[in-house]
Amino acid sequence: MILHPVDTLLSLVLLSILFSYGAGRVPILIKLLAFQGIVVSLVPLFTGHDMEGGSTVFTIITLAIRGIIIPLSIHLAIKKVAIQRELSAIVGYKASIICGLVLIVAATAISSHLNLAAVSNFRLLFPAAISLLVTGMFLLMARRNAIAMVIGYIMMENGIYLMGSTFSVRARHIVEFGILLDVLAGVMIMAIILQNIKQTFDDVDTAHLRTLKE
Amino acid sequence: MESILLWLAAILIAPFFSALILKVKAFFGGKKGPPLLINYYTLIKLFKKGSVYSNSTTFVFKLGPIVSCCTALTVLLFLPIAGFDPVFSFKGDVILVLYLLGLGRFFTIAAAMDTASPFEGMGAAREAYFPILCEAAMFMILIFFYRITGMVQLSAFFAGAGTAGLWQAAGAPLIFIVIALFIILLTENSRVPVDDPATHLELTMIHEVMVLDHSGPDFALIELGSFCKLFFYSAIISRLAFPFDTGIAGYNLGIFALVTGCVYLVVGVTESVIARYRMDKVPQFVLTSFALAFFATIITMEFIK
Amino acid sequence: MSQFFLAVITILCGGLFSLVLTGNKTLSRSIGVILISAGSLWGLLSSATSLMTGGEGVAAFSFLNVFEFVFRMDGLSAFFLMAIFLVCLVAAIYSYHYMDGHGSALGTAANYFFFSVLAASMALVVTAGNMISFLISWEIMSLSSFFLVIYNYQSEESRKAGFMYFVFSHVGVVFLFAGFGLMYGVTGTFGFDAAGAMPEGIKLAVFILTFIGFGSKAGVFPFHVWLPHAHPAAPSHISAVMSGCMIKTGIYGIFRVYTLLGLTTPAAGYLVLIAGIVSGILGVAYALGQNDIKRMLAYSSIENIGIILIGTGVGMTGVATGNSLMAALGFAGGMLHVLNHAVFKSLLFMGAGMVLHKTGTRSIDALGGLLKSMKITGTAFIVGSLAISGLPPFNGFVSEFFIYLGSFNGVGLSGGALVAGLCAIVSLAVIGGLALACFTKIIGIAFQGEPRTDAAVDKNEKGATMLLSMVALALACAVIGIFPAAFLNMALMAVGSLGLNMADIPLAPFGELTSNITFGAFIFLVLFILVAGIRALAYRGKPLAKSGTWGCGFTQPTVKMQYTGASYSGSILELFGPAVPVAEDHPPIQGRFPEKTYYKSQVNDVAEEQMNRRVVNPVLFFFDRLRWIQHGDTHLYIGYILLAIVLLLFFV
Repeated sequence: MILHPVDTLLSLVLLSILFSYGAGRVPILIKLLAFQGIVVSLVPLFTGHDMEGGSTVFTIITLAIRGIIIPLSIHLAIKKVAIQRELSAIVGYKASIICGLVLIVAATAISSHLNLAAVSNFRLLFPAAISLLVTGMFLLMARRNAIAMVIGYIMMENGIYLMGSTFSVRARHIVEFGILLDVLAGVMIMAIILQNIKQTFDDVDTAHLRTLKE
Repeated sequence: MESILLWLAAILIAPFFSALILKVKAFFGGKKGPPLLINYYTLIKLFKKGSVYSNSTTFVFKLGPIVSCCTALTVLLFLPIAGFDPVFSFKGDVILVLYLLGLGRFFTIAAAMDTASPFEGMGAAREAYFPILCEAAMFMILIFFYRITGMVQLSAFFAGAGTAGLWQAAGAPLIFIVIALFIILLTENSRVPVDDPATHLELTMIHEVMVLDHSGPDFALIELGSFCKLFFYSAIISRLAFPFDTGIAGYNLGIFALVTGCVYLVVGVTESVIARYRMDKVPQFVLTSFALAFFATIITMEFIK
Repeated sequence: MSQFFLAVITILCGGLFSLVLTGNKTLSRSIGVILISAGSLWGLLSSATSLMTGGEGVAAFSFLNVFEFVFRMDGLSAFFLMAIFLVCLVAAIYSYHYMDGHGSALGTAANYFFFSVLAASMALVVTAGNMISFLISWEIMSLSSFFLVIYNYQSEESRKAGFMYFVFSHVGVVFLFAGFGLMYGVTGTFGFDAAGAMPEGIKLAVFILTFIGFGSKAGVFPFHVWLPHAHPAAPSHISAVMSGCMIKTGIYGIFRVYTLLGLTTPAAGYLVLIAGIVSGILGVAYALGQNDIKRMLAYSSIENIGIILIGTGVGMTGVATGNSLMAALGFAGGMLHVLNHAVFKSLLFMGAGMVLHKTGTRSIDALGGLLKSMKITGTAFIVGSLAISGLPPFNGFVSEFFIYLGSFNGVGLSGGALVAGLCAIVSLAVIGGLALACFTKIIGIAFQGEPRTDAAVDKNEKGATMLLSMVALALACAVIGIFPAAFLNMALMAVGSLGLNMADIPLAPFGELTSNITFGAFIFLVLFILVAGIRALAYRGKPLAKSGTWGCGFTQPTVKMQYTGASYSGSILELFGPAVPVAEDHPPIQGRFPEKTYYKSQVNDVAEEQMNRRVVNPVLFFFDRLRWIQHGDTHLYIGYILLAIVLLLFFV
């Protein structure tokens, strides 16, 4: 077997992370998020833990929410408020790519230090999960556009999910599912808030929120 | 002996492959497109003609086409085609190959600057810029290969069982390398989305504007050189995409030709569906290929411990 | 050793006679040139022989029974001597026509005098065998080159450059004193031999102190500020000597101290490597931003020092990790680059000197089309540019090739060596690409196209000795590039005296590698002849027409429309962002009948700005506060002297 499925999937996740550093427009970022969501949800199918009927169903539902519903609702939210598509980066895109490389190297270094037993089967899993976390954090910090911040948050959630998929606890799917529903609810709320921000400031640049300060 | 024949065959067939791109683009445009042998007709036509030289030019202008064609031909000598051994191969030949391509670029730029044309200067400045990042990406890819094979030699990567060995050792990261190489191919050979070879506005060109003043056999040499250069990159990608050895030389060659054709088709499709980037977006695009290669190397370190 | 001293004395005689015979301008110049070049040739031959035969020599002179001057020649010294004598030989020959009608008779004679002192002191620096002889030769070298920099002392710019150089070289020397003082304090002797026995911590401290001192002479990045000022100010053959070999004495110092200390910690290797990478990339980026041909070459020297340090750093990392092949490849590459850079950089400075001599301007935006009137200069300059961009089949490629291979060896390891190798390779690739951009700019703007101003119209290239030295150096570039075997052997001999265990180094791959480079060059040349033949066949009996350049439909082209240096490099410099800031001055076009406007751009050196802000200004402020000491009253000054004597009596 030349292409190990889990490694391939995780490589694709890393690829989507890398591209998200260079993505300059919201629609591209949303597409990346959808792609990432699908790939991340597919990982548990191949990790080989308790593949019973129930968990497969859970996986498929996760996939639907993560890969389709969330990106779609963000997409619709954007369409509705008709906001600008540029991300207005605080850190430039070329610098972002370099930053991304550094962060990923750091993530790899950290994961090799942690060296969990469960991870050793899939060497890429832990680095990918940590990279997702830091990338989400980076997007939250380095982009002014509110949508990008939301996407960053969801990426962090993807990372947590990925990390969780390594532990073969029975009840894990239920917990995961709960989190996912929370996120979904969060996205919905975000859409509503976005609309409000848009109405108030005529833009979704979060820099405007500073004017709310007394 | 057979490798020399292969080398000659590669030079002869390179113009044919390039015509595939034109055909695909015509198909997407709903047109019939030029015949598949169009590039041969063009080359023959150009070789038959005489030339007009600008009053501003010097001997460097005439040297440009010779060097750029000759470096492309030299580079093909080191390339393992379809997994066969290349004509020449030695330790560190990749570095020589990359720097020879640099030499060709130096003279293309010098020949463009020789004409005193502002447009050609513009193209030259861009031609000097983008390959800086490409070269970094290319060396990053070499580092990746070195981590796996412990060699800096094209034949160690692409001849015989070498390529299959690469996949065995690091399958998933190799996908990144293929994508990175494809980006480098697009950039180094001035394809969309970096440069549009079919555009009509000199301001937006890179490679085409640099050769505006060349004509006749000089221009034919430049064209031949660029076909060979494109073939060089495509052959590498096609070998990576199909690393297997069927055991029968004929099959190997046939499949290789087929896969290489596919690479050209993909280039054609890319050109048809992607718009050209704004000039200041290009470095970011090229930087992505560096990032991919870097990334693949980091991941490989996880694999090979 | 006696051969060496006789050569040095011959060189010194050249300067002295030149000064004595000031009355007859031509005679004074001729005798200077003849004796300096004869001495250099002698020294070149003797050092090459001693390098080939592996001969070592020691000479000691005692002075007042207090100090002892020791001079010692080993492989490392001999290699650097070769580079120094080679450049001095060619520069002396070049200067014969360059100094023709250039300033007063006394000025010319003084120039030869200081030139000979500089050449002799450089030779003494690289053979010095203890601290005393080293520091004294070093100081003479700094002072003589200072006088050469202010050769054109009437101009404000030259005086400023000279002052800056003076300050930098003396601050650098302070660091050397500190390093050597530390060494003396621990070992208790002025000799170098006991240095290896010091504790590791002290060794590293000495290394860092001397690295700063030597780095400021070599032009390592934050300490390079003097270099782009001093090189353009000096006459061109002096720029060639300074850039070709004087800054290499800094590199020699780093090598020498490294050998003496026998450092094995990887930290030293990383320090050198990082300094190399920063100097290399920023050096060439700044070079790209310049429009003054000699400033550009000066920055490019910083880049090449960077490449040498990258090689050295890779070698040191190899030593620290016990990978002898990596060490040998890195050191040999760096060492060979010392020689290569000496050859092509002096060639380029001489080419620039010819341009300056004939056109009177250093700004490339005022030039253009010189290749048509200066065929030999232009061709030699192109060869030099190809070599400095590291392109085959010229010599720059050879040394970079070895550094690449050494770094790849590091990539095969793990941990620090891996990171070091990776950074070295990527930065070498970037430097290579930028150097190509930089030198196509200089050729494209200054030598090609059409003349932009009258300065470049109808020029000639008279001056047989100038042309001769450029052609000789261009040939040397090609010879080293195509047949590197003998030169690599010399570099390996020099590497051999770095205190590595030569028995560990597999020498077999080197012979194979050099023959491969020769082989590759021949393949290229054969194909080149083949393609050129095909082209000639295709053009047989064809009509060749001459016409204007295709203006893309525009019918009224003027020479002013040509691409300029700033526009050529503008977009590349954007990549570096705040590290290479471009200051632009461009009043916008206003009104219906707009006035004439202009565009001015300049690349500001970050290191210079920061140094001004953080070092120079506070120092000036501090000394401003101490002004009251300088009262102007003679009696007070006598009081100071008394006070100083009393204090000295108490404490010493």
